Amino acid sequence: MSRRPGGPERSHMYRKTASIGAALALAMLLAVVLPGTALGASGPDPTPVKFTVSVWQAALIAIGYYLANSPWLFGLAFFTLYRPLVAGFLVGLILGDPAQGTLIGAAINVPYLGFISAGGNLPADAGLAGWVGTTIALASGLDPTKAVTIAFGLGLLGTIIFYGRMAADSVFAHWADARAEKADIAGVAFMNLVPGQLFLFVFSFIPVFLLALNGPSAVQDALNALPIWTVNGLVIAGGILPAIGIALNMRFIFRGSAIPYFFIGYILMTATHGSISLVVVAALGLALAYLHLSFVRRDAPAPAEAAAEAAAAQAASAQAGSSPAAKTPVAGPGLAIRLTRGDLVKSWALWTFFAHANYNYERLQGTGFAHAMTPIIKRLYTTEDDIRAALKRHLVFFNTEPNFGNVVHGTVIAMEEQRANGAAIDDDAINSVKSGLMGPMAGIGDTLSQSTITPILLALGIGIAGGKASGTVVPTLTGATGNPLGPIIYVALVSIVIVAIGYTAWMQGYSRGRMFITEILKSGAIDRVLIGAGVMGNMVLGALAASFVVVNLAPTVTIAGAQMNLQAAVLDPLFPGALALGLVVMTWWLLRRRISPLALLAVYLVLSIVAAYPFFGPASTTSSDPAAQYQVCTSSLLHPYYACGAPPAPSAQP
Amino acid sequence: MSFRLVRIDDRLIHGQVVAGWLRALGAKRIVIVDDATARDEFLREVLTLAAPQGVPVEVLGLADGAARCLELASSPEPVIVLARSPRTIVALRQAGVPIEVVDLGGMGAGPGKRRLHKTISVGPDDLASLRLLEEMGTRVEIQIVADDRPIPFRSLDSNQ
Repeated sequence: MSRRPGGPERSHMYRKTASIGAALALAMLLAVVLPGTALGASGPDPTPVKFTVSVWQAALIAIGYYLANSPWLFGLAFFTLYRPLVAGFLVGLILGDPAQGTLIGAAINVPYLGFISAGGNLPADAGLAGWVGTTIALASGLDPTKAVTIAFGLGLLGTIIFYGRMAADSVFAHWADARAEKADIAGVAFMNLVPGQLFLFVFSFIPVFLLALNGPSAVQDALNALPIWTVNGLVIAGGILPAIGIALNMRFIFRGSAIPYFFIGYILMTATHGSISLVVVAALGLALAYLHLSFVRRDAPAPAEAAAEAAAAQAASAQAGSSPAAKTPVAGPGLAIRLTRGDLVKSWALWTFFAHANYNYERLQGTGFAHAMTPIIKRLYTTEDDIRAALKRHLVFFNTEPNFGNVVHGTVIAMEEQRANGAAIDDDAINSVKSGLMGPMAGIGDTLSQSTITPILLALGIGIAGGKASGTVVPTLTGATGNPLGPIIYVALVSIVIVAIGYTAWMQGYSRGRMFITEILKSGAIDRVLIGAGVMGNMVLGALAASFVVVNLAPTVTIAGAQMNLQAAVLDPLFPGALALGLVVMTWWLLRRRISPLALLAVYLVLSIVAAYPFFGPASTTSSDPAAQYQVCTSSLLHPYYACGAPPAPSAQP
Repeated sequence: MSFRLVRIDDRLIHGQVVAGWLRALGAKRIVIVDDATARDEFLREVLTLAAPQGVPVEVLGLADGAARCLELASSPEPVIVLARSPRTIVALRQAGVPIEVVDLGGMGAGPGKRRLHKTISVGPDDLASLRLLEEMGTRVEIQIVADDRPIPFRSLDSNQ
């Protein structure tokens, strides 16, 4: 049989799958954005108004949540639509108030600043928190601080969706095995994509649709039934829980000589009463990062140790050069069967899109790897046996960071090309490169993308979003109106950086293989990026902490015969935001002492509600009388922001 | 004993280890014990360079690794020990390395393996080694990332 088993018919089907997918994605995105814009044009009301979510709006929100978990957006959904900042903006568009949606999304996102998902492990579903949390808050007219607390609960619930999917997708990996056995290239691609996405769509659409439709009224009813002080407690928690997200992020960058920059950022923000833009803080951070790299640098260990380490590495690489097993597979000229640039780009695009389309417990990105290899296999192998062997070779367990980790794919593709041209490269050689490199490259990749680039850009986006639409920032969320430029700038920056890293790693991995890996690791370029980003990240994070973490003492003191608020009259003149800063640093310290973030969350929530109890006044009912509300608010331990306001009427004053 | 973590993970150093465990535990050194990896100069170099700055990585074969672990077990330095398979940990124990708890952190699926928990799949060999470890007095716990609650291997191993 001269015809390839994956012949014209199948390859047609394969191309069709890809184009249908792309069209579907575009349609869904338009479906999410267009009606929303139309609604938004009717004029958002600055004061949040309660309204019901229509069936169509709920469906759009559910599609949005599906897209956030889907591969359709060039694999960037995890960095963009999945983040509450972006989700909040889009939900705002759908419900007709993009500015308020952005503000709520930004607030919800802060506790997830230290969010990392590595190796099939999801600590919380930030996506569900963002999409449903914003919907509930916006539709029931909650202020962003209450939304934070409710959304965090949703985030914990959402992990069920992720883990359900990880289990189901393991089954589809076996369906892909069956197609590989038949040397069916398009079949393997199909199994990586279609069953998993169908399952994910149903499994994510239904719960989110129902939550979006019914959640707002349920939450509203629950809040109405609660005494005022507990609701105040939720608002206090909304100012305290962000400390956990910021501290989780600090675990990555609040280290060594970069530590002072956090305080610089914080003080800059509080000293200017929040009138300085986050963009300015970031620009200052960039300048300081340059100075730091030039003059301070090196959180290095004992120099002798480092030198010994370097010498050992040198010796190892010298040996590696002479050892045939470690020879760098460089695709040179003169090969009989050559891959084209188009094959490489197609393969890279398939990976970028569909690496996580069928992410599962058993193989993690295994089927995604095989899917990405389909253009390569088609070009290089013609006999059914070779194709079958190649498909099976690449369907095994695989997991790396899907951007920087692309050096592994590039290297493997070069090896496949050599093998197809008769080089003595066996399955073992290819497997050992894959399994040996996927871990370390993921270690570097995750450090770069998930724990450095994403949170810093997010912090910047959140900072911009948390301000007024006019661009000026406010000291706390009270008075902020939300600035959609925050999510838009974030999405643009993160997309460019992530795609650039992924493409470069892929192509360099192919053309220079192991040489590229050792060169880039030895050059110290990654360290410089991490140190510089750490400086800038600390500045931005400090500034963000000043805006989003709020602790305000409620008790009053008598100074010179006049009753004055302890916070406003005594603490703030000395060091504004000192308590909030203390809380953030304490949270960071507790996390370092291996206290679980979930335990901290529970404790902070309980303490917030306790601190809202009116110890110094009569415990009130659910009375909506402003005088009673003021009474409850001022007689607790902590203020819910500055929300107590002025005394409502002379008669109500104590 | 100073081992902050003794972990079985067939990807050795990766995101969960670097961004998760290393930071959470404040470990200052990583020791990898694996014969095949120690023989591969290129991988040794990559692993050495893949850890964050200031955290030295030693990639050692079984014999050298056991000696090094014995030495480090009594030093105050916070160390993470990584191995690809349970059998390596059994060998370390047999060489007298004191290991109170071993963390089963990641073992990919493959032919002849069945899924034990989330991303952890075990073959008959692995199971035998893990059970042996428990008999030798080393607790086997599954804890993929530092923020997870550890799950005792015994509660998942139905054949015991």
